[in-house]
Amino acid sequence: MAESTTEAAPPAPVEVEHASKWFGNVVAVNDISFELRAGITGLLGPNGAGKSTLLNMIAGFLKPSAGAVRVGGEASWLHPSIYHRVGLVMERETVYGHLSGYDFVLLNARLHGLDDPQAATRHAIELVEMTEAQSRRTGEYSKGMRQRIKIAASIVHDPDILLLDEPFSGADPRQRLHMTDLLRQMAAAGRTILFSSHILEEMERLGEDVLVIVGGRLAASGDFRAIRRLMTDRPHAFSIRASNVRGLAGALLAEESVHAVEVEDDRLIARTRAFGAFTSALPRIAQASAISIYEVAPLDESLESVFSYLVAR
Amino acid sequence: MIALVASHTLSQLLGQRRSLLMGLLAAIPVLVAVLVRVLAELEEDPREVALGIVGGLVLNLVLPLVALVFGTAAIGQEIEDGTLVYLLTKPIARWKLLVGKVLAAWLATTVVVGVSAAIAGATLLLGRPADLLLPAFVAAVAWGALAYVSLFAALSVRYGRALIIGLVYVFVWEATLSRFAPGTRLFSVRQYTVSIVEALANTPARFLDAQVDTTTAVVMSTAVVLVTGWYGVRLLQRYELRERS
Repeated sequence: MAESTTEAAPPAPVEVEHASKWFGNVVAVNDISFELRAGITGLLGPNGAGKSTLLNMIAGFLKPSAGAVRVGGEASWLHPSIYHRVGLVMERETVYGHLSGYDFVLLNARLHGLDDPQAATRHAIELVEMTEAQSRRTGEYSKGMRQRIKIAASIVHDPDILLLDEPFSGADPRQRLHMTDLLRQMAAAGRTILFSSHILEEMERLGEDVLVIVGGRLAASGDFRAIRRLMTDRPHAFSIRASNVRGLAGALLAEESVHAVEVEDDRLIARTRAFGAFTSALPRIAQASAISIYEVAPLDESLESVFSYLVAR
Repeated sequence: MIALVASHTLSQLLGQRRSLLMGLLAAIPVLVAVLVRVLAELEEDPREVALGIVGGLVLNLVLPLVALVFGTAAIGQEIEDGTLVYLLTKPIARWKLLVGKVLAAWLATTVVVGVSAAIAGATLLLGRPADLLLPAFVAAVAWGALAYVSLFAALSVRYGRALIIGLVYVFVWEATLSRFAPGTRLFSVRQYTVSIVEALANTPARFLDAQVDTTTAVVMSTAVVLVTGWYGVRLLQRYELRERS
């Protein structure tokens, strides 16, 4: 007779259930719920949105005021055992300045109680391409180098969950590219990676899934491309200075992608819902009307306004 | 793991300008002892003179200040500059972190103050009968240092301004208030240390003038170590990354 067994699904590496955090009267994180599985997830939001508070709650450094935050099925608050599985890179860039890069990572390896801390240290430093600079004092490192040696320290125990708060801060384009590749490799090997950023382009390079957080609330979550489309298809406004503002305004009104035009002294404001169609039509229309365009400036283009739009939806 | 945390903390405490300043502070009793030995005729019991001059300077000034600086820096500095996160993101019981930190601060304090007291005392007592005065004094200093650094380390986990609070404790509570309000002496690490010095040295120290009996001193100083240790561990367990008062 065949026996049937029912196995409970393993808990998600990171579970956030109706988590809130408030400091006095200030609500930093407001009733947020999500689960993270293996792969890279971006935590996107403007400065002060609550990203670091959320990361700190997941990392066990803030007690949720309400709700639950679990890592590997275990509450992260008051359970240092989660750090067997978790690597954390904080936004603050301090390191032990009197230690060399090698000694700094080695200290972290030894604090984790690894069997062969020296080998783990060498491997982690190689991964972040800091072997050449490993003998120098971390106090002499550039911001980007400090960031990389911090990442080496956070992965020295080979964690399966990696939490990174603004990890690319201070890195040059080549270092960003390398770190992106490294995080992709780690995600491909089955690790769960959550990284925060307030820069949309960083998400574009790295974030497969994205959590958009604004004012402490989860404004959007899911596939980055779908969210990016939402951001692109929102209403855009452009300020345009040209040799013949009124002539250009008339020509633009005939364009399908433009739904409103206002003329103000020596410039016009054009409003569109089709970003791509408008930006390709504008030079064509100007050329056909023999009008010179001196300046095209997007209005209301700050990240905060994009987030506000998402929240309003 | 405790040894690793302690050695890491010692490298932080002793590798900086602060240890040089503490060395200069510890040199004061030695300088005074040399001056007294060279310039003054010592006709009284040399043990009492040594206890009065060196003991007074060490117990009133050098020990509490060195313990305050090392005790608050051991954890407080890591909280201040944000590096404590590297210790807290490890699967290590918080009591081991605290014990390692306190152990390092205690070792640094005991070595700096103990060497100062030993050299200054030896300068005054050289060639004179002194029994076991010096080892007894250094042992009492070590015991007092433990109570002080435990107290100051716990304060530094709780308060960003632990150094100022500690200065108020040393110079207002212990040095001033205890003269006018006898009840406050019961909560004075300085008084515990003085009492233990007198008991170990078996010498009536008229300049030191212990105000609490030896049993009370031992019980109370042990309680200080245990209670502040427990409190410090609890604070570390519930440590939240945000601004402190």
